[in-house]
Amino acid sequence: MKNLKHIWFIALKDLKIFTKDRAAVFFFIGFPFLFIILFSFLLGGVGSEDERMELHMVTLEAAGGLSHQIIGAMETMDKSQLGPGAPKMVWDRDYDEARRAVEDGELDGFIAFPADFTQALMTGSGTQLEVFADAGNVNARAALNGLAGAISSQIGTHQVIINSSVALMVEGGVIPADTASINTAVQQIMNELFAAGAAGAEASYVTFRTEKVGEVEAENPANFVIPGYLVMFVFFAAAVTAETLVRERQNHTLERLLATSVRRESILGGVFTGTALRGLIQIVIFWVVGILAFNVDLGLSPLAVIILSILMVIMSSAFAVMLATLARTQRSAGSLATITGLLLAPLGGCWWPFFLYPDWLQTIARITPHAWATSGFNKLMVFGADFSSAVPNMLALLGFAAVFGAVAVWRFRTSAA
Amino acid sequence: MAEEFLVVKDLHKSFNEFKAVNGVSFSIEKGEIFGLLGPNGAGKTTTIRMLSTVLGADSGDATIGGHSIRRDAEAVRRIIGVCPQDLALYEDLSALDNMVFFGRMAGLNGDEARAQAMTNLELMGLEDRARGKVAKFSGGMKRRINLAIALMGNPQLLFLDEPTVGIDPQSRNHIYENILGLQKKGMTILYTTHYMEEADRLCQRVAIMDGGQIITLDTPYKLKSQIGSPEQVTMEDVFLKLTGRSLRD
Repeated sequence: MKNLKHIWFIALKDLKIFTKDRAAVFFFIGFPFLFIILFSFLLGGVGSEDERMELHMVTLEAAGGLSHQIIGAMETMDKSQLGPGAPKMVWDRDYDEARRAVEDGELDGFIAFPADFTQALMTGSGTQLEVFADAGNVNARAALNGLAGAISSQIGTHQVIINSSVALMVEGGVIPADTASINTAVQQIMNELFAAGAAGAEASYVTFRTEKVGEVEAENPANFVIPGYLVMFVFFAAAVTAETLVRERQNHTLERLLATSVRRESILGGVFTGTALRGLIQIVIFWVVGILAFNVDLGLSPLAVIILSILMVIMSSAFAVMLATLARTQRSAGSLATITGLLLAPLGGCWWPFFLYPDWLQTIARITPHAWATSGFNKLMVFGADFSSAVPNMLALLGFAAVFGAVAVWRFRTSAA
Repeated sequence: MAEEFLVVKDLHKSFNEFKAVNGVSFSIEKGEIFGLLGPNGAGKTTTIRMLSTVLGADSGDATIGGHSIRRDAEAVRRIIGVCPQDLALYEDLSALDNMVFFGRMAGLNGDEARAQAMTNLELMGLEDRARGKVAKFSGGMKRRINLAIALMGNPQLLFLDEPTVGIDPQSRNHIYENILGLQKKGMTILYTTHYMEEADRLCQRVAIMDGGQIITLDTPYKLKSQIGSPEQVTMEDVFLKLTGRSLRD
């Protein structure tokens, strides 16, 4: 209990000294965000949301026609209900206005239903959907063509069903074989089919889903920029505090502490705890600002992201204490911190997304704790992995922390005096 | 016969081939101010570092208040206070923060540490600078804080390693008075200094070290008597006669 108290007092003392140094506070907290803003901008734009594709439809038919039913069923009423990647369907009421918008470059394109759409279907004379698109916008054109194809295919299926049903009804004597009765029956079945489609009935027996294969870029660059810089700055800031212990030695306060009833391990524990507390403050600020200002998505398992962040702090603090026991002067501690911080960060995927590295470089990078941390964050926040996927990364960080801690304790025991 | 509070027996310490302390033995009575003098490199600071349990001895032992520095270092640390030769302060913290921190390290609770810090600051004439940042203090004020911190936890034995080096006569005189005041309260003090008049004025007995060994040990009066009339001879004369006039590093 006494040792824990000593650890806590030393940690609080270090925190107090840290807060007195405004430049250090800016370096720990403000400076990283300058990097994040810059790199988020460079890698995709700050604060911009992923823009959902919009597909516009227009009908020239009078109200009450089937095209009104089809567009009404497809129109997106609540954007928040759309699944990932699903386009927003927009019903434009005025054909000429929509056409002008395309010509003016304000709209990528639209699908138009002809004025005789329902009549043509009922008489079986055939009809044509119009795809009016900006020739330069290949994506919009392809999407509108695909949608037009899907509509005509669906209507073609319905047409077959209707024709067969009506034929059976005539043959079975359910309806008379005159044109008026057949038209009425066709109209009725058609209405029922589209009404069922609008109500959400399964329109097709064969459905498909899209699955992304391989490593693709994140939708929001902050999802990999912020974790990268979090790893870099938490590690770098911790490493820089290696000077704390060296300063204690040079300022002779370490000797004074050693002459009190404080155990050597408690001194080390206090420096570690102080560094870790600073790191925890850093990650809280990183994630809160990241979520509120950069729209960062913590993925399917925010708990895994939090645990990974905490382990990153623990590992960095253990590294800092080890560095402090290895360095003899403040200058050498500072130099070692800068060198390790700046060498390991790019290698470990802090500056550029780790998943873009070639395989051989990813393999080499695994010797750094940074790589385990950034690849863990990428799994969780970019590729939608669950908690279990990040466990190897957590264990690796724990392993690094244990090794650094063991070296620190051994060195401190043999060199403190 | 007075109680011996510190007993040093044949203490040795070498750094590689260099014998820093080579068979030092002496004792200090409870409530005594004992001077440990010697030129640079004589082994005074190494002796104090071993006695304060910061540095392990190669051989020999010492007991402080009956506790061995080798076998019961933690008990020793509970009854000693150390004022190191160099300023051992957190310059970015206030005087009060420094003292409270070391008070907590010495085992005091929060209230005790604050109360004792204020008492000691008052003793050093620094109560109105309690919340001032140490970095902005003068050299004399820092020395007084350095000493005040050593008093946190009410130690029974105080190691003062050149506590007045580099300060003005006013601050030095203030420290002298405080040391004598502490002695009156029963504190035992081991004092090292390069100022011979300090030793003469403050110490009941003085040991002069050179080459890691104690070359003489007696009262200032008797030491001065060895080379002339005590009224005319100074401790500096004694020191130079015993340690020679050649320069030391």
